[in-house]
Amino acid sequence: MAARGGALLKYLRVNVEALPPTRNPNNNGLFGLSFNAICRRFSEEVRGTFLDKSEVSDRVVNVVKNFQKVDPSKVTPNAHFQNDLGLDSLDTVEIVMALEEEFQFEIPDNEADKINTISLAIDFIASHPQAK
Amino acid sequence: MGPSTGGRTRLSGMQKQVLSLYRGFLRATRSKSPEDRREIESFVSAEFRRNSKQVDRKNFIYIEYLLRRGKKQLEQLNSPDTVGLSSMNVTFSETENPKN
Repeated sequence: MAARGGALLKYLRVNVEALPPTRNPNNNGLFGLSFNAICRRFSEEVRGTFLDKSEVSDRVVNVVKNFQKVDPSKVTPNAHFQNDLGLDSLDTVEIVMALEEEFQFEIPDNEADKINTISLAIDFIASHPQAK
Repeated sequence: MGPSTGGRTRLSGMQKQVLSLYRGFLRATRSKSPEDRREIESFVSAEFRRNSKQVDRKNFIYIEYLLRRGKKQLEQLNSPDTVGLSSMNVTFSETENPKN
């Protein structure tokens, strides 16, 4: 049992160690670098990546603070758009549209209707692979 | 309009349609030049706010009419040739005296 586990571990370790040197040859210069960058960008576009939640949180809070009808001192991650920030449903639509632009992806109507607190916005965006 | 499916929001079906139309307008302005965009956005926002205050929320027939008209205007706005407000000026004078 232990031997088998050890063998598996060794196999995995060899695999991980083997990748970086072949992937990133230093003597390839500019071409090697840009080729890797293209590869990475391409794979990100295909699969999508999740943004770091604290980054999402900062950006969402910033967008809401910059909304002209909002008192920035009231903006906390748990704030409810209508109850805490005094916004109406049309204002909420404007905020969600501003978030779409900030994160460069479209939020479908049935999801947008549910986003009425800052934390719901953060959760949705952080779990959405197309958010940039 | 009965209560909707429930959950966190308590928007009626008709409110959802209005908000969806508003989203459509705000998305459509993104493809316009910055000054056209600002002008159209402030006009559209003022229209929705004015109607939200003036129109009786139980006047479903009139709200349905406004929704239909709004969808047609959105289609016009979405065509790439539309930059301005000429069609909107017409509707503006029209809505000054809502026939309800």
